Amino acid sequence: MTDNLSLQNQGTEKLLEFVNISKEFPGVKALSNVSFSVRGGRVCALMGENGAGKSTLLKILSGDIQPDEGCVRLNGKEQHFSSPYQSIRAGISVIYQERQLMNMLSVMENIFLDDLHENKFGFVQRSVLRKKTQELIDEFEMPFHPEDIVGHLSVAHQQMVEIMKAYRRDSDIIAFDEPTAPLTDKEINVLFNLIRKLKERGKIVLYVSHRMGEIFQITDDIVVLKDGQLVTTFKTSETTEQELVKAMVGRDIGDTYSNLVRNDKLGDVLLSVRNLENDAIHGISFDLRRGEILGLAGLVGAGRTEIARAIFGADPIKSGKIIFDGKEVHFKSPVDAIASGIALCPEDRKEQGLLLGQSIRTNISIPVLSKLLKGWFIDRRQEAELAEQAVKRYSIRTPSIEKKAGELSGGNQQKIILGRWTSSKMDTKLLILDEPTKGIDVGSKAEVYHIIMEYARQGIGIIFISSELTEVLNISDRIIVIHDGHITGELTREEATEEKVLALAMKEVEGVKL
Amino acid sequence: MNNNEKLKKFFRSKNSTLIILLAIMTLFFWIFSPNHSFLSIRNLTSIANSMTITAFFVIAEALLILMGELDLSPGYIGTASGALMASLLANTALPWFVVVVICLIFGICFGLLNGLLVNKFKFQSFIATLAVGSFVAKGFSYIVCNGKAVGIKNPAIVWIGTKKIASIFPVAIFFSIIAMVIYGIILAKTKFGNSIYICGANREASRLAGLKPKKVSYILFANSGMLGAIGGMLYAARLLSGNLDGTNSYAFPAITAAVLGGVTFGGGSGSIFGCFLGLLIISGFNNGLLIMGLSPYWINVASGLLLLLALSADYLANRRAGGGKIGKPRRLKLTRVEE
Repeated sequence: MTDNLSLQNQGTEKLLEFVNISKEFPGVKALSNVSFSVRGGRVCALMGENGAGKSTLLKILSGDIQPDEGCVRLNGKEQHFSSPYQSIRAGISVIYQERQLMNMLSVMENIFLDDLHENKFGFVQRSVLRKKTQELIDEFEMPFHPEDIVGHLSVAHQQMVEIMKAYRRDSDIIAFDEPTAPLTDKEINVLFNLIRKLKERGKIVLYVSHRMGEIFQITDDIVVLKDGQLVTTFKTSETTEQELVKAMVGRDIGDTYSNLVRNDKLGDVLLSVRNLENDAIHGISFDLRRGEILGLAGLVGAGRTEIARAIFGADPIKSGKIIFDGKEVHFKSPVDAIASGIALCPEDRKEQGLLLGQSIRTNISIPVLSKLLKGWFIDRRQEAELAEQAVKRYSIRTPSIEKKAGELSGGNQQKIILGRWTSSKMDTKLLILDEPTKGIDVGSKAEVYHIIMEYARQGIGIIFISSELTEVLNISDRIIVIHDGHITGELTREEATEEKVLALAMKEVEGVKL
Repeated sequence: MNNNEKLKKFFRSKNSTLIILLAIMTLFFWIFSPNHSFLSIRNLTSIANSMTITAFFVIAEALLILMGELDLSPGYIGTASGALMASLLANTALPWFVVVVICLIFGICFGLLNGLLVNKFKFQSFIATLAVGSFVAKGFSYIVCNGKAVGIKNPAIVWIGTKKIASIFPVAIFFSIIAMVIYGIILAKTKFGNSIYICGANREASRLAGLKPKKVSYILFANSGMLGAIGGMLYAARLLSGNLDGTNSYAFPAITAAVLGGVTFGGGSGSIFGCFLGLLIISGFNNGLLIMGLSPYWINVASGLLLLLALSADYLANRRAGGGKIGKPRRLKLTRVEE
């Protein structure tokens, strides 16, 4: 089979080369002298920590930005893209991490945005669009309809629309930037089957992801970048996870999880939730002790985030009881929750956590502004001190506390939020972490784990939400599994395995039709 | 921070662009105005006089723009308040300060109505304030005045509106100066001022971080109604009558001055001092062209060009620092290093 295919493709085998690419942004050398090539019919992973230069490379490929030096060569021909339009014309599709969809438009309009199949009078042929979109949807095995409004789809389905958009162009080169982050296992399977199909057709696939499992599952070659330089390339079949991590981080970080110093003495009960109920969650009851890390596992959209938001007072509660720190509490808004010592690091770091356009200083001081008052005015010196402390304590890599949060890498952004909730002016007793390691690199992940463990040792109760199973299993003292807004099971650290958690995460809830 | 750094920081700031623009403009008009009259005391007072009332509207708009909202109603609220004041003074025996307080409350109520429509019923602020201003408040001024101007005779109000110290310096200017200073300090130094920047930048993130964006929004709309009422009452006092057009057209020049002064939609940056400079430039520019004898029609065109010029200067300065498009919120202007 493969022999046949390679014979077929021999005459027209595609070749993508990056030649001596350098790119500098104000103050940062994003890429320096990066060269490598990918052949048709192979899936090439781009790996590296945040800030290594992967996204910059993809943006150069897509014509979004131009390299200072070097060029992209396609089948031996030098290309100088000055806009994404030219890159698409040349047969390149890049699917970015941030979805580029028009939420108010339908699926089919989004997919055929640049080619509306107008007839000779300039009218859009909706029936043709509908038919072609339906074919795509069938190929992707998706349950939605061509005329559905994209904004009403789940995040996972939106991501699939984004992929369809690139897929239908039949480009020779398709680059994926962390495509699986919002997807559930079902869509990931579909995606991987598609990638295999693309491979068989001799296409070139570039694949960026932080998830090791996927890399070993789907890719053929691995290119490792670090600080804008190409470290090394591997054949996926000839390397190991540890070797890869070492190349990415530049040092052997060993086994991330076994290095953690766990808290071994749990305190008394800090939080009791009884029969919590609203539109998204049903009959949620559990206890959390001081110093305990409680993992909330489940598929994306199972209701984990909604539980966190309900406890935090961000979403209304219909019925049920929350007893926190010995008292029954009724939070009307996050303000009340924060005042009693609860903190939430939201799932969507960029949209709900940080103010990207504001400085690190501002981002850290938001919840404690009233404690920084000197008379009527904010004491800027104290505010700056607070930020300096956080930068030092969590080794946030930044030249100054006046740097805007949006200009830092994902890992450093997460550390700012952690710094916000644990500054010396805060008295946080319960910390809810919703996907705290999403999109951040191995090195930063390990740092975040260490920080979490330190909190637990200080007696802070922690609710830890994550879609990465290995992470939940290794960090949590106890795991409760959520499915469709219900708790489907509880496992101790000792008894929890990936299989058990997954089985519970997909378990049918009695009396609930799925 | 030593002096050198301070100086550097100043020259990179927006206000420096505005001050340079102001200096060039002043020099130009000084040279070319008949008898160099642009810088005569009389003319400077005239410029100050033209800024007095607009200043209140500029403050109101600047705060709301920082919050990511726009208010088209304060001009109409001002007219209605001026009319209400005139008619209460003429038709009741209430002392003048009670009338003023009633009118302030009246303005605040309209502002709260805006706040309610925007925060509770989720109207776009543009639509909500357009409806409240140009229909409800405007209609109200007609009802109060019964369709015609009402004269003002109360000596205290007349004094506030028309008294000139040393026979050139209008008393009303002091109100504007005091308001600018107070709001400038509130915005730059207090918790409430800071929360305006923060909530404007990202409402949901601020709410999850323990601020109350809804409350801030309500207060700012109410404040806008109140400042509108003050502006409208001063206007009526100056003209010695509550009439039907009053301050109706004041919202747009105010928004222009705020934007020119460096206030960005959706938080990020902007200061009351910047607004003051923006207002000064616009007023000085109009006045300068007028005393040079340009027709008022052309002055409108020229003002538009000035705004474009100022914004592009700002844009160029920003692009050097890795900026983006004109008028886009600052938070979209980031150079994302790499993710």
